[in-house]
Amino acid sequence: MALSTGPRTNAAGSATVAQRLQKELMDIMMKPTPGITAFPDDENMSRWTATIDGPASTPYDSLVFKLSMEFGSTYPYAPPKVLFKTPIYHPNVDFSGRICLDILKDKWSAVYNIGTVLLSLQSLLGEPNNSSPLNGQAAELWDKDMDEFKRLVLARHKTPEELDGAGL
Amino acid sequence: MDHATLVFASVFPVPSLSHTTPTPVATPDLGFTGPGSSFGSPYVANAGGTQHRAARRNLAWSTATRFLSLPKNTADAPRRTHRSSDVEEALSYLLVGEGASQDGEEGLADWYANEARLHFANHVKQALLELWNHEIDLRNAWEVLEETQRVLEQVQNLYHQPFHDHILPFIEQAAANVTIRASRSSDELEVEMVEAAKRKLQRDMHAAFAHTLPSGRLSKTLSYMVYDAACKRFRLHIRQDGLVSGNTEPEDAKEVTRRMTILLMGLERVGLGKDSAQRALAHAMNKVLDTYVASHYLKVDWYSRQPVTAHLRQWVESGFIPLSELFLTCLKCEPASIALLQRKQWQEMALTRLGRSRAEDLFDFVTNWDQSLGAILDLKEYLRLDGAKEHLKGSFSRQVSRRLLHPGATTAYILNVYICIIRAFHRLEPKGVILQSVARPIRKYLKEREDTARIIISSLLVDLKDENSVKLASVGEVSFEIASEMAKPFYSHAEDADEEASWNDMSWQPPPYDAPPEYKKSKMEDVIYFLLTLWDRDDFINELKNILGDHLLKCQDPEFQKEIRLLELIKIRLGEDKLQACEVMLRDVLESRRINESIRTASDKSQEQPPQTPESLGPRTPRPRRPAPSAPRVKPASGPALNAQILSSFFWPILRDETFRVPAQIETLQQEYESRFESIKGMRKLRWMNALGDSCITLEFDDRTEEFEHLTSWQVSVVCAFQPQPGEEWVGKGKDKAVHAFDPQRDEDRAGDDMCKSQSESITRNMEQLEEMLEMDESLVHQALAFWVGKSVLREVSPNTYAVIERLDSSTKDSDAAAAAQELAEVQAAQTTTVKSQADLLNERKDVYMTFITGMLTNQGNLPLKKISFMMGMMIQGGFPFGDAELEGLLTEMESNGKVVPLGGNIWGIRK
Repeated sequence: MALSTGPRTNAAGSATVAQRLQKELMDIMMKPTPGITAFPDDENMSRWTATIDGPASTPYDSLVFKLSMEFGSTYPYAPPKVLFKTPIYHPNVDFSGRICLDILKDKWSAVYNIGTVLLSLQSLLGEPNNSSPLNGQAAELWDKDMDEFKRLVLARHKTPEELDGAGL
Repeated sequence: MDHATLVFASVFPVPSLSHTTPTPVATPDLGFTGPGSSFGSPYVANAGGTQHRAARRNLAWSTATRFLSLPKNTADAPRRTHRSSDVEEALSYLLVGEGASQDGEEGLADWYANEARLHFANHVKQALLELWNHEIDLRNAWEVLEETQRVLEQVQNLYHQPFHDHILPFIEQAAANVTIRASRSSDELEVEMVEAAKRKLQRDMHAAFAHTLPSGRLSKTLSYMVYDAACKRFRLHIRQDGLVSGNTEPEDAKEVTRRMTILLMGLERVGLGKDSAQRALAHAMNKVLDTYVASHYLKVDWYSRQPVTAHLRQWVESGFIPLSELFLTCLKCEPASIALLQRKQWQEMALTRLGRSRAEDLFDFVTNWDQSLGAILDLKEYLRLDGAKEHLKGSFSRQVSRRLLHPGATTAYILNVYICIIRAFHRLEPKGVILQSVARPIRKYLKEREDTARIIISSLLVDLKDENSVKLASVGEVSFEIASEMAKPFYSHAEDADEEASWNDMSWQPPPYDAPPEYKKSKMEDVIYFLLTLWDRDDFINELKNILGDHLLKCQDPEFQKEIRLLELIKIRLGEDKLQACEVMLRDVLESRRINESIRTASDKSQEQPPQTPESLGPRTPRPRRPAPSAPRVKPASGPALNAQILSSFFWPILRDETFRVPAQIETLQQEYESRFESIKGMRKLRWMNALGDSCITLEFDDRTEEFEHLTSWQVSVVCAFQPQPGEEWVGKGKDKAVHAFDPQRDEDRAGDDMCKSQSESITRNMEQLEEMLEMDESLVHQALAFWVGKSVLREVSPNTYAVIERLDSSTKDSDAAAAAQELAEVQAAQTTTVKSQADLLNERKDVYMTFITGMLTNQGNLPLKKISFMMGMMIQGGFPFGDAELEGLLTEMESNGKVVPLGGNIWGIRK
């Protein structure tokens, strides 16, 4: 960007991060992906909230999940910290919302961005990696008893309004 | 006499009640027996002595009072100078001898004073009251006062004379007797006693006079009289509510002064020159000063532009003060001359009044700067006085807010006035402290106006010598003052870097004592500096970019001298680093010329091999003002030429970008240009922005040939569409329409010049055809058609169907239609600018904004409008250049689409 009317950041180091994030925001806004949105929490852009819709024909169909994303000063060379804010029953997500996904860990690459991360997470909902579960019970049920799995998913899920009501 | 009065009199003796009238001669007073003594006993020696004295005194009293009592008719009373022997004896007994008043007995002098008072009350008062008990007409003030003075003087003399003749000699004698025993110097005491007696009578009488006349009315009349006299003396014309003063013929000033002096002295003699008269005089003089300040003597000097303060000072010194001294002399005030300090104070007083009256009209003076130099200099003098600055600031700020800072004033006008204020106040107070404080509200207001920056920058670019821009200025879009300011030579203020710390500055002076902390002395004179510092640097530069972009695209000057100068000037003031974009823009347009040259040279060389390429791409520099063909242009009209302006899209503001098809020839040229450009510039891509083109065209009709310059490329495209297209039958006889267009574009370009040939008798096209052929927006097609109808090139043969007018016959139908259409076209053209308008921008980016809002509300929950607006400003690249009102419009629209819901209190949320 030659013409930087960009964010007014204070530290020089985070300026590039903020610029990159702003550009990503613009990309998301210019080419929205259905079922996925994300938006910064405040003007310094280091924390975002994202929303993904559960993919159709999965146990998460028509459920809405909120996530928090935190970008360090080394982004995009280090992955963002992503957590599920909405309680979710999923083989690769623990009860605190931590996610086990390779691209958020060792397989991270600077070519990924917020959109791709969220898209991966959305697909993870439909295709869990049951070989390295964080929630063993869920992994087991996914393979054996889908009805029970669905019941537990619904039991654990909370809508954003309920979440707001719980003061989260 | 009522009861209450009698009771009062029994406790406090009232002279008028106990006043005795002379006893008739025939009734001898035999005296009476004192209480406790036997009746009629002549042998009680002591009592008898007292009784004897009482009887004798009574007798003498009777004789004396009979002699001294005043006649009823004052006019024909004979003057009694001769005292008969018995009167002599009685007076002597009462005043000198043992009959002199003892132990609270009434003295003869007191009696006489009482007598005079009663006489006055009974016989004179009535006549005077008739003069005074109704409102005094100001015209008769002189006469009434003179008459009063005359009557009073007469009765005073009348009363004085017997006193003087018959009583004073005896008092003197008594005093002489007393002084024999006194140790003090006899003469002195004697004089003192006589004077005391005289003064007492006089005081009593003056009190009677003064109480008779209504004091308020008297002082008012007196005050007017003095005022009138002073006005006549200074030849001031009084106009009070249209009342023409009594005698309008010029009276001799000396005569008036004499008459007034006599009258005042007379009034003083009859005791009317005391405190209240002095107050009345002071009042009058106060008014004289006001009148003089408001008079024509102190009018603003619009012609020679000189201050009038010197004149005022001189008048106070040689006119006002002597007159006051004259009054003081007439009224026998002490001291009769005016002290030096007081003279100075009076001068300041006069100056204050002048200053205040000038300050009230300061706004007018400022707007009429510099004819009003005289008034400003007057004010400058005034500002030296205490409290003057505060008054001036307050008064002027009020005038400004009432007369300038309202929606009715155009921005250009406000700017002009602001510049006048800067100039006038600079003269008024070179240090600029007042200017800074009065300018603050104006600057604040200007900042709020949307078009301020645009007008300032366009004004900076106006060429005063150019008629076109002068025309623009009359529309109110441009401030002439700025333009003329720009034309002045520019002095750099390089030395302002660190003037506070400059130890070598031997002429250093501390800032004025009343300067605010942010006060800066330098640059006070530079008007442009004031204007450029209205905004934050960044905001100003953004606006500058937009306007400069628009201006550069329209500019006719191939050298861009003014623009370069402006940029340099702003660089000095705002710092070079920030103006990169502007510099790139300027470099773009300059470089485009070189690229055009080189591409043309290249095409000239390649001309031989492909003979079908349009010949003679004459090197037409973008100088359509001078259509004289430049030398290398071999066959001027044979083919279209194309010049491009290559703009670096990153640095330019967002420009109009309607897409449509340009005429085929132009398109070919564009492609050629593009390929050459790419070969020169190493594969950089061109994106043609057809909407920004500037074209010339020559139209050949059956009966005429017309040339048009400065057309937009869409106008040319539309008219070219009226040529037969390939595959259409040529009906006509083979007439040519030559079209040259120069049309500019961007993203690395600006194009053109072309030539279309057409043979047509009269080709008709309708709207649908045109839209389809040109792939052009309907409104644009309409605009272009209206333009051409206005130029009598096309005519509307049936609704929405147009035909070329090949032969201009005398039918007025066309010309009428043409006139109407021209008007329409002009209106439309005025609305078309090269840089996109805010509304266009909003419309265009509406989808992005809406996505933004949706994303924000989805993830962040419900938010108030302010917060949404703030976040959008922060998050969107390029900012969100709209206000809350536009945002609310967007939200409302989204609400109607069912995307968001208002939650009250200006909080919005996502519809679930």
